[in-house]
Amino acid sequence: MRINNLSIYQFKNHKDFKIDLNTDISCITGKNGQGKTNLLDAIFMLSACKSYFNAIDYQLILHGESSAALNAEFYNGQQLDIQLIIEQGKKKKLKLNGKQYDKLIHHIGLINVVIITPDDIELIKGNSDERRKFIDLMISQTDRVYLNHLSEYHKLLDQRNRQLKLFADHQHFDSIILESFNERMLAPCEYIHQKRQTVLKEIQAAFKQYYRSFQSGSEEVVLKYESALNSDSFEILLKSSLNKDLAIQRTSVGIHKDDILFEINGYPLKKFGSQGQNKSFIIALKLAQYHFLAETVKQSPILLLDDIFEKIDEERAEKLIHLISQESFGQIIITDTHAERMRKYFENINKSTKFVEL
Amino acid sequence: MNYSSKIIENAVKALSGFPGIGTRSALRMVVFLLKRPKEEVNQLAESLMLLKTTLKSCRVCHNISDEEVCNICKSPNRNHRQLCVVEDMQDVMAIENTAQFNGLYHVLGGVIAPMDGVGPDSLNINSLVTRIENGHFEEVIIALNPNVEGDTTTFYIARKLKTASVQISTISKGISIGSELEFADEITLGKSISLRVPYQV
Repeated sequence: MRINNLSIYQFKNHKDFKIDLNTDISCITGKNGQGKTNLLDAIFMLSACKSYFNAIDYQLILHGESSAALNAEFYNGQQLDIQLIIEQGKKKKLKLNGKQYDKLIHHIGLINVVIITPDDIELIKGNSDERRKFIDLMISQTDRVYLNHLSEYHKLLDQRNRQLKLFADHQHFDSIILESFNERMLAPCEYIHQKRQTVLKEIQAAFKQYYRSFQSGSEEVVLKYESALNSDSFEILLKSSLNKDLAIQRTSVGIHKDDILFEINGYPLKKFGSQGQNKSFIIALKLAQYHFLAETVKQSPILLLDDIFEKIDEERAEKLIHLISQESFGQIIITDTHAERMRKYFENINKSTKFVEL
Repeated sequence: MNYSSKIIENAVKALSGFPGIGTRSALRMVVFLLKRPKEEVNQLAESLMLLKTTLKSCRVCHNISDEEVCNICKSPNRNHRQLCVVEDMQDVMAIENTAQFNGLYHVLGGVIAPMDGVGPDSLNINSLVTRIENGHFEEVIIALNPNVEGDTTTFYIARKLKTASVQISTISKGISIGSELEFADEITLGKSISLRVPYQV
């Protein structure tokens, strides 16, 4: 998968910006606040239909304007012109070769990208929803059924939770209506659980190997899937949590409670990881995601590295450059504050490289 | 927009509340009405008023009706052993247009959607259960939209009717006729594979 060019209109701090990206590696440099990260986010958005950084779409529109647009030409054997339009108070529009999608989720998986940014530390420090978001996006990019089950599960979950509130408000309980939601949630829930388990198992080896290449110690790192469904079926869990659910007025079991535990020598990384270990962990995790996508869809994703070389030491940087300059990696777009550093790192790589200063 | 008359402004405002009608279309409609003879506009106004003053919902099936009991429920030519459950009156019209169904209907008036504040009690589900228990129906066909709310409601009704001695079926889901497989979405195509039907020659 490649991106040939990108144009950004009234998106975040870009008024009207165009860039050619038709090399293996693009190094984009500039001072802070020039919109380097926003440029990568624009590419991410054309892949995932949402921003990596902002959950609220209208906040992506340039201040004082009422709409934003992103245009890019991708290539995966055929040319793919993707256009995304964000207008205040309206639904996002996404077009592929001029034809608008009925539903945005139909686009997921067509353009695969992997982004690594300093914000990813939230995967370690943040709540479990950060980690679920990570694995959900990774799997959704390769499995349409998963994505559909996920969206259906969440719709049903919202309805079920509201129903639990209504029971409490009206002091009235109807077991059949709850059963109607439960019944419909079983298949999506079991599928999602199964798939998360399989995929986590699948990326484990690559993850460990990548971690080892950045971190020379003997510590053991592991991604552990935590889910109530590991030991019981969803049907049994729902039954046994009925009273609790009625009391707290929301659904206390299900794949929306899952977590991926990041462990180092059997202890939580969140508490025991050093800064260096955390960085190695995140980069290894993201490269494992890259590896998984490339293997599953038989096509290299676009790798977006946001300000990574600012945050890691020279030794790790050199290892990372060595890794990503290998044949198996596809197109890479890098942002950094130091033009000098980028030239030093990437000038002698055996790939077509270009340096752009914003 | 600036209107030279308050009366026109009010009419435009009222018409632009219709689904799919914006202020421009509403203005076109107003200008059109201004040019029509008075009797014609009166007739239009009258027929609109009748919607609210005279139209009833059928006491049996809750479909829209001019009388207490609608023509379908009253008709001796229809199969009174088959009942089709639908969401609203438009669905009745859609199924009637197929000319493939000669049974009776039951209009729910919506589907279960707690997020929108719609529970079973605000729908015509209790009257459906009573109707089945007291009637001579052999089959109930649940014909709701194939989405989360529709499917939940189907399950709810099927559960409610579990003890009644009637066969329950749902409309089949799959590829639309005249379309092409390669353009079908994965869910529909997947469903039509897993719910495939035996083919007899």
